[in-house]
Amino acid sequence: MEKQYTIPIGPVHVGLKEPITAWLDLEGEKIVGATVRPGAIHRGIEFMARERNPIQVIYLAERICGICSFSHITAFVRAVEDAAGIPVPPRGQYIRALTLELERLHSHMLWAGVACYSIGFDSAFNLGMVLREKVMDVLEVLSGNRVNYGVGTIGGVRWDITPKVAAAVREMVKYYRAEFYPFYEIVTEDPIAHARMRHVGTLSYEDALRYGAVGPTARASGVRCDLRHSSPYEAYADFDVTPIVPQDYYGKAYGDVFDRFLVRVHEVYQSLDIVDKIMDGLPEGDIVWEKNATKVLLALKKAEGTGWSAIEAPRGDDSHVVHLAAGDENVTWWKVRAPTYANAVSWPVMFRENELADAPLIINSIDPCISCMERILTTDVGRGDQRLLTRKELLKMSREKTRRLMGK
Amino acid sequence: MTFPTGAIRNVETARSLEDVAARMRSVFGEEVVTAVHERKGGVRDEVQYYDLWIAVEKGRLLETVDLLAEFDFPQFHVISGNDDGDFITLYYHFTIFQAAGRGKRLGVIAAIQVGKDDLTVDSLFSRLPAVEYSEREIREMFGVDFIGLPNKALIFLPEDWDEDIKPWRRDETGPADKDVRELS
Repeated sequence: MEKQYTIPIGPVHVGLKEPITAWLDLEGEKIVGATVRPGAIHRGIEFMARERNPIQVIYLAERICGICSFSHITAFVRAVEDAAGIPVPPRGQYIRALTLELERLHSHMLWAGVACYSIGFDSAFNLGMVLREKVMDVLEVLSGNRVNYGVGTIGGVRWDITPKVAAAVREMVKYYRAEFYPFYEIVTEDPIAHARMRHVGTLSYEDALRYGAVGPTARASGVRCDLRHSSPYEAYADFDVTPIVPQDYYGKAYGDVFDRFLVRVHEVYQSLDIVDKIMDGLPEGDIVWEKNATKVLLALKKAEGTGWSAIEAPRGDDSHVVHLAAGDENVTWWKVRAPTYANAVSWPVMFRENELADAPLIINSIDPCISCMERILTTDVGRGDQRLLTRKELLKMSREKTRRLMGK
Repeated sequence: MTFPTGAIRNVETARSLEDVAARMRSVFGEEVVTAVHERKGGVRDEVQYYDLWIAVEKGRLLETVDLLAEFDFPQFHVISGNDDGDFITLYYHFTIFQAAGRGKRLGVIAAIQVGKDDLTVDSLFSRLPAVEYSEREIREMFGVDFIGLPNKALIFLPEDWDEDIKPWRRDETGPADKDVRELS
């Protein structure tokens, strides 16, 4: 047997802009074992919530994640509504679902771009980031913000879909139907992308179940699970969302990084269809159960109960549990289980028998929480000039890179 | 024992809430079901799915999971909980029927009470390795020991954490005022 070495990947990272450590046991270049150690960024958010009322905690929950901020507040407010028995008007439900899908769109595009970056396909990464700008613009039209939109509240939402927002949403769907395919094509048809992602970081169907993988990670392993389908909530109650699994599109689920890429890319198209359905079926009426926050807080102070909400965030099941005690104006206790908390348990299984060089990609394959780069600006330090690259130029550069590497 | 007795697969046909609740009652007694939450949604405000809340003795936790596995391979979500005075209440959140068709998922929440005179619970790790992070988190936050959990290292707390302080406890083992720094 070769001598074994243990090396740390992280907490400051080659693959991820967030701190987590993976201790990898290596024989030569082969990973034979892995231990993951989170804990470099635990902020004690659940502890902080004990001294805040439910409306204040919304804004705490929104800051759990810079990408799926709305997923976290939706899970939180739904848990509060479950504990206190508060209804949400249909229009509020539809606006929640719309925002959730917009968030999924930008999260999946970010991840797909970052996956390209992890394998050194930087032009495709930048192309993904350029495409992502469109949905960020729509979120800005809806809420005035790009990251923490402040859309959700207990019993509904805070911003309505005006004709201006509706027009921006429709235009975005049209744009992506026309422009997203080239991105999918340049990556899936690039032999190097294929070589780097196929049969890498494999998670079998059985292990996905045993280790509790969620969302696109589980679906890429062939698990037909999607909370929007299995337990419809909000507007998803009015139309079906079929879970996207590789075996339905390509005949077989390998459960590798490439399948995780394919599932997310197909989910982009699925989200566009959902956005259309939401806009077509958008009911008239109130957007919130009670506009007056003081009245909401009074009702919540009287409420007694424990509520649980599990929703399908971009990375998978996001579970929040809330307890409200009668007479206590604060959130008595709160538990957050983000999708990565579930998916990271599978990392050691994905690492096994892989090459050390693939470790950053495997880490990235479940969690793309990297702060967004808005657009690419090339700077020539020598000449001191700057030039903004367009989407067409990036697409061309991506294709040229593939040809160059293939010697064509 | 082997868990589950059949293959590790999600069933494609769900059973009803009534079937699952009846099976629970036949094994654990009539009092086991503490609540059923109807989860509504959509324009017509109809029930879309259910959450079944149960309470079992802590010594029968493994049995509870085996019982769920009779219906479907259980999907584990998380353990939540609170310091309720003389005991810690832990809520184990599971899903069954996650791949059994639209609206068929059943959320099952099993509550146990762990007395402060004996802060131990059987680990579910041998059946569901998915519990690892949650059991380690509950261990460091509440001081509950999980029997059979292989890796009991700290998970979210830093290496130099004083392990006598249990962040989520509300008694003398919890954070004292001097341990909390107000940032604003």
